Order: sequence, then C-alpha cells, then structure tokens
Amino acid sequence: MNHLPDFGHALLVTLGISFSGAALGLLLGFTLNALRLAVPGFIAVYRLYVWLVRGTPFLAQLLLIYFGLPVLGVTLDAIEASILALCLYSAAYFAELLRSAWASVPIGQLEAAQVHGLSGIQTFWHIQTPQALAFALPLLGNQVILTIKESAVASIITVPELTMTAGQIVSNTFSYVVPYVLLVLSYWLLTLLVGFAAAALGRRATRYLRG
Amino acid sequence: MSNLPLLELRGVGKSYGANTVLQRFDLSVRAGEIVSLIGPSGSGKTTALRCMNFLEAYDQGEVWIDGQLLGYSGPGRRPTDQDSAAIIAEVRRPLAMVFQQFNLWPHMTVLENVMAPLLLGKRLNRTDARSLAEAALQRVGLAAKIGAYPARLSGGQQQRVGIARALAVKPRLMLLDEPTSALDPELVEEVLQVIRGLASDGMTMVMVTHEMSFAAQISSQVVFMEAGQIVETGAPATMFQAPATDRLRQFLKPWFNRSLTPRQEMCQ
Amino acid sequence: MDDFGVRFALYWPALLDGALTTLWLCLAGMLLGFVLGVLIYLLGSSRSRGCVAFARVYVSFFRGTPMLAQLLLLFYLPAGLGMDVPALVAAGLALALNTGAYQSQILRSGFAAIPAGQLEAAAVFSIGRWRTLLHIQLPQVVRLTLPALISELIDVIKVSAVVSVISITDLMRVSQQLVSQTYRPLEVYLVAALFYLALTSLLALLGRQLERRWQARS
Repeated sequence: MNHLPDFGHALLVTLGISFSGAALGLLLGFTLNALRLAVPGFIAVYRLYVWLVRGTPFLAQLLLIYFGLPVLGVTLDAIEASILALCLYSAAYFAELLRSAWASVPIGQLEAAQVHGLSGIQTFWHIQTPQALAFALPLLGNQVILTIKESAVASIITVPELTMTAGQIVSNTFSYVVPYVLLVLSYWLLTLLVGFAAAALGRRATRYLRG
Repeated sequence: MSNLPLLELRGVGKSYGANTVLQRFDLSVRAGEIVSLIGPSGSGKTTALRCMNFLEAYDQGEVWIDGQLLGYSGPGRRPTDQDSAAIIAEVRRPLAMVFQQFNLWPHMTVLENVMAPLLLGKRLNRTDARSLAEAALQRVGLAAKIGAYPARLSGGQQQRVGIARALAVKPRLMLLDEPTSALDPELVEEVLQVIRGLASDGMTMVMVTHEMSFAAQISSQVVFMEAGQIVETGAPATMFQAPATDRLRQFLKPWFNRSLTPRQEMCQ
Repeated sequence: MDDFGVRFALYWPALLDGALTTLWLCLAGMLLGFVLGVLIYLLGSSRSRGCVAFARVYVSFFRGTPMLAQLLLLFYLPAGLGMDVPALVAAGLALALNTGAYQSQILRSGFAAIPAGQLEAAAVFSIGRWRTLLHIQLPQVVRLTLPALISELIDVIKVSAVVSVISITDLMRVSQQLVSQTYRPLEVYLVAALFYLALTSLLALLGRQLERRWQARS
C-alpha cells in the first residue's frame, strides 16, 4: 500500500498520454475529414490511411514508430512515441466517426444555406459542424475510452503508465493478485467516468432537438 | 420601374441520364407578378423551380436573373461549363427561397436562423442584421418566438420562420416550393395568410403549390405542367374557369365545382 | 536492396509460423467466445435480476478494460494462487472472455430480429427451450450476424498482438525476435504489419462478400 503514490503517478501518465493522443488524434481526424471534402483526390490518401491504421494492431504501429523511425533518423522517447502512435491510431477512427456525423446533417439544411448566400466554408462551420459534433459526442467519448485502453500497450516500451507500474509492483512485492486487480479496477473506473461524461455532454448538446 | 423581366427562362431542360424530367420550359416574370406552377406529381414543376436558383443544374436553355445568365458563362451546358460557386451565389442574390420541409437550422434559435443569411451571406454587422431579422419576424407574426428553438414550434410556425428568413434578405423575387404541403391541414391557413400579405405588398413570387383556390386568388399567371413540359399557361380566370386543354380539365376536376375566383383587386 | 530478397526469405517462414499461431489462437478464442457470448446473452435476457446484473457487469468489465490488463490478470492470478497455467491457455481464455462480451452484444441484435411468433410456434409444438435455441434461433442468428462476427474476428486478431507479452510466439513475438536477430526494426515490423494487414483485409473482403450474398437473397 506504500506503492500508492507510484500508482498515482502512473495514473497521471496514463491520463496524460491518452488524452494528449486523443486530442491530437481528434484534430488530425477533423483535418483529414476537411481535406477529404475540400481537396479533390485526397480521398485516396484518406482511404489508404484509414485502411492501414485500422487493419493493423496498435502494438505493431507503436513498435514501428518507436524502433523503426530511428532508422530514418527520427528518434523519439517512449512517451513521445506513445503519444504519436495514439494520435495516428485514434485519428483514423475519429475521421470515420466525423465523416458519418457530418453526413447525418439533412441535405435540405445545406440547400437552405446555399440559396441564402452562405459559402461552402460557412455552411461547414456554422451549419454542419455544431450539429455533427453535438450528435457525435457520445461516440467521440467512446473513442477516447478506446484510446485509454490502447495506452496500456505503451507499457511494452516501458512508459511508466498504469500497466507497467503494476508489473513493477508485482515484481517488487511478489504479490500478484492485488496490483493486477487494482489495475483493472482503475481502468474500469476511468472508462466508466469518461463514458458517463460523454453521454451527459451529448444529451446537453442535443437539447435543441428535444425542444 | 423598368419593365424588363426579373426572371426569365428560355427553353430550360434537365435530364438525369436517359430520363428527361424537364424540357422546353419558358417563363417570364416581371416585378410584382405572381406565378403559380401546378400539375400532378412528377410533372417537373419542382425541378423547374429549383433550376431557377441553380439548386438543380439545368442542362438546356438559359435562366436569366435581372439580365444576368445564371450558372453558365458561355454556350456549353456540361458540368465542367458551370460557373464557380461564388459567381452563382452573386447572380442568384436577388432570389430567396421557402422550402417544403422548412429546412430551418435546428441548432439555432428562431432569431439566429433569420439572421444567419444576413450575417454570413450578406456580411452585415450584428446590429443591422438583428433589426432586419426582428422586422421580418414581426411581419410574419412571430416576434414573440425569437428566442425559441425550431423543435418547440408547430409546423406552421416553422414555415413562417422560413418565410421570415427569406424576407429578411430583402429579395426581389421569392421562390416557394410547396410551402404548405408538409403541414397539417389546420396549420395551412396561417401560412397562406402570410403569403397573401406578401402578395399584397407587391412581392414577386414563383410558387409550386397544390392549393388551387389559393393559386387562383393571388396569381397573375398560372402554369400547368405534365411529364416535364408546360401544357397550358395563362391568367387564372381562363385557366381555372375555361381550361383550353383536356389534360388541364382532367387535372382540375376535383376543384371544378367550386368557384375559383381570379385575382382582381391585386391586378392594379 | 538486393539483400532484402535474401532476408525476406529468412523472415517469411518464421512470420508465417507466427501468423498461423495467431490465427489458431484467435479462432479458438472466437469460438469459445461465441459460446460465452450466447451464455451472457441468455443471462442478460433472463427474468432473474441477479443474472441480468451479472451479465451487465461482465460486459461492462470486459469492454471497459484493456485486453493487456485482462491478460496479465488471467495469467498471473493463478500463479498467485499456486496454480500453474500454460501461457497459451491463459491467452486463449483471456481472448475468449473478452470477445464473449462483445459477441453477446452482437448476438443480442440477432436474437431480437427473430419474430416472437417463431418461438411461440416452437412452444406450441413442445420443442424445449434448449432445442429451440440450438435448432431455431442460433442458425438464424448466426446467419444474420455473420458480417458483424467477422468484423469482431478482425478486432480479435488485432488485439491478440499483446499476447506476445507472455511469450507466446504469435506473429508479433516472432517479429520482435527477428528484430533482435537482424537489428532491422523498420523492415521487420513493416513486413509484420503487412502480414496483419493481409489477414484483416482478406477477412474484411470475406465479410463484404457474405453481406452482399445475404442481401441478394433477401
């Protein structure tokens, strides 16, 4: 139990890399989506990216970034590599999520914008974006949860997050049960909290639909 | 006031692949005139209306708005010959539209819905936009609802917001696509009342509608369409009381026994 | 780049071995997970509040915690209690428990799609509940949810990469071993990734083909 401060620190690392990775991934996913709509031909790049990221295990992507990039001259420490990997990984999922969210805005509203003189960009920002984001909030929250779960893989490249720290405690104390039970409970609590928060925010953001 | 037509369509046509939905459509609308397009479903009247502001890209003929050609700069009519979005937006500026499904933006309040085209389309400043919007909402009788969200309003109220939104930009011509078709019967009259008011104020309108007596009351010209072509056109008095073609007679059978009084006081 | 051909000839058999281990492990986990999924579904739709609560907690737990953490718990817990569990068994079990939670949700929509009238007919002709499940419900449920199940199999394959942590020589572990032998991480991990990509893409193609066939039938 005197390992609690270590656990606390590990929790912060987990939250840190997960939320950084997810936030950057959301930005990247949003950008990829915007480019897909605005630049003709980009859709091929988009599809390739999504196919590669969603068709391979996250561990493989992480190892490629941490061990493979130095061969090309780019050396990242374990935490930087993890955040980058989580960002690239979640971006593919965020992009697909946002794509369907944007498409869910009824076309009649877009026509109304068009005939009333709103430009394509204005329609995107003022009409589609607020509604798409409000609608997608619970799903975005779900993707944050998935990112938190993937962050456990970072323990394999010795990032001092929850899973790695639990393993260290096990090897120091030879107690197998308590650390690992505490480990799964911590993740479970985290994902439940994020899930509730996202659902509640989503309900609030779509209040306008219920009048 | 110049008597040149505000809106003119010459030989306009539209096809989807091998399917021709509109052909040889001619129309001339001067300021103050009100044109009603009537006909059975699939007759092409909505397509014709949507070609007038290039919501549909017509691939034959010409659409002129206030002396400017809409959608194309030269003789070509392929998708690659179309003007840029910015140019099209500029040419269609004098027009506004009211939709069958209202097409309000649900995440904005009533006031924000009416202000949006002014702020974003015309780039007015907030104070000017607000006063124009409030005036338009006053005009349709919804001044009390400016802070409400569309989901809270009845269908008739939502459509009146749609009309206010179109009014606020001070258009020279309004396009109305079956404005009351999506409304419950008891809500239709409040919207027709507003449109009647616009007509008496001298608003130029082109309207697709199934409300025959209403069309007879306010129109200066009625166009009857079937299978993508104009079958008959003329003043409501002749069209409704003495139809020239058999097909129009067939179409008007349900309304024949009622009196369809033509626009009188408004003709001056 | 000429040496690459030589090195690739070295990688190929080892990676193929690893890929087969991955495939077997995932299929076994998937099948066991299917049985678990059906059981969890039954618990979740039973009249007993305790059963329903258990099912809800089960699903929430296995979907709300990382596969790696579940694996470590399942592998080291028996060791802490004095038992010795072979790594392969622990991995298969962990995968099964995990995918069982997801499959229970997939199957739920399949079960819901079967009109209640069919079950009433089964009851009228005295076909017992288990027989009804096996002969009337499950065949239809599987047919309805096969594309979604294939999607889940793809996820299981991706998630299985972490079993390399407990020294199972799956595709990921083999590639790690190759890297320590050849000191060429970029090359080896790229090829390993391509192996996974090929596997998941073929399955995705299969899933789409099946979806198209079922749609053509209905």
